[in-house]
Amino acid sequence: MKSFSAPWIVCSGLWVGMTLMAWPAAAHHSFAVYEKNKVVTLKGTVKTFQWTNPHVVLWLLVQPAGGGEPEEWGLETTSPGVLTRSGWTRNSIKAGDQVSVEFSPLRDGTHGGGLSSVTLLATGEKLTASFAGGEKPGLK
Amino acid sequence: MEKFLYRCLWLFVLGAASLSGAHAEDVINPAPTLKDWQALARQPDFSGVWTPKVSDQVAQEHTNPPPWRPEIAKQVQKMYADEEAGHPFPVFDHCFPHGMPSFMLVTHNAFELLQTPGRVTLLGEVDGNRLRRIHTDGRSHSADPDPSFHGESIGHFEKDTLVIDTIAVLPQAYLAVSEAVGVPNNGDMHIVEHLHLTGPDTLADDLEITANKLLTKPWRTTRIYFRQRARKYEIVEGVCQTGQFTDAVDENGNSIFAPVKFKNGVPVGSDSK
Repeated sequence: MKSFSAPWIVCSGLWVGMTLMAWPAAAHHSFAVYEKNKVVTLKGTVKTFQWTNPHVVLWLLVQPAGGGEPEEWGLETTSPGVLTRSGWTRNSIKAGDQVSVEFSPLRDGTHGGGLSSVTLLATGEKLTASFAGGEKPGLK
Repeated sequence: MEKFLYRCLWLFVLGAASLSGAHAEDVINPAPTLKDWQALARQPDFSGVWTPKVSDQVAQEHTNPPPWRPEIAKQVQKMYADEEAGHPFPVFDHCFPHGMPSFMLVTHNAFELLQTPGRVTLLGEVDGNRLRRIHTDGRSHSADPDPSFHGESIGHFEKDTLVIDTIAVLPQAYLAVSEAVGVPNNGDMHIVEHLHLTGPDTLADDLEITANKLLTKPWRTTRIYFRQRARKYEIVEGVCQTGQFTDAVDENGNSIFAPVKFKNGVPVGSDSK
């Protein structure tokens, strides 16, 4: 029987390690984690617009009311495919944009939420997100 | 003499079975001919991008739930309670493909359907590597197919309906009714679908799901999809794992994916450090 070489064992260990690291960072989940009946509005500066599957994330820097360093909020919404059909593009929102956002917050007060709309303050353009935007044939 | 003839017949059957087995392993798929391509024109046209009727998926959670076995129903009730309490069961958190039948049941994203000689192919959009291959070349199910997320699907047309028979779905693949409620099928699941147009651009998939380890009887449900021709509806690449990362540049100036920080399955920090 062929014995396993040291590099193979190291690689396997690395792979297992990467898998274990990836596990808590699970991505595709139900939006029931957010308080669906509560909508919060915040204004802030876009840090990063993360255009990824299965959920797009808007990382927003918000100035606390009492002053101090801006605080980061992670606001996620549906996927690039679904958003594209609602008129969004990966360039709809850019780092540095001033925006007003509407979202359902996390229940435990952590700075995160399920994003439902973004208004670009410079232009007034409002982008909305919906899971059920394709329920007719032949949409334009 | 009669006994001898029976033995001969039995040997013949065994020999034929072994020969057909060898043949199945060695079979070469024939190159499509002009006649094969022309035959496609006589099939109903299911090709294109289809978006699901998500509102009906949600409605059927209450109007047409699966006939869960009592012990499974307890698990399902707990999932609904957990969802209500704000900590939903992570049915798809692992980024594996939804698999069958969840691919057809609960997706929020579009799929693209391709019709080619001997094959119907469904390409999914989210969660990466979603691919359903439905063989319509007249083959039978394999004797011992390797289990996979989407199983082995054999189809044939009955007039304007594509009838699909699917077996060999991985036991870990969920029978899900939402992204928060689903149970692994646990093996021996059998799915029969009737795919047909109910309008020029409306597709119905009538599913009958037999999953004896979960259900008291076969569950019948219909899922509706709408065809989209506008180019912005073309499916996009959807690699689920990218949702765990954001764009960054390393100390060498290389473009990289940098992990984001998660808490209870949701992103809460753009820097994992």
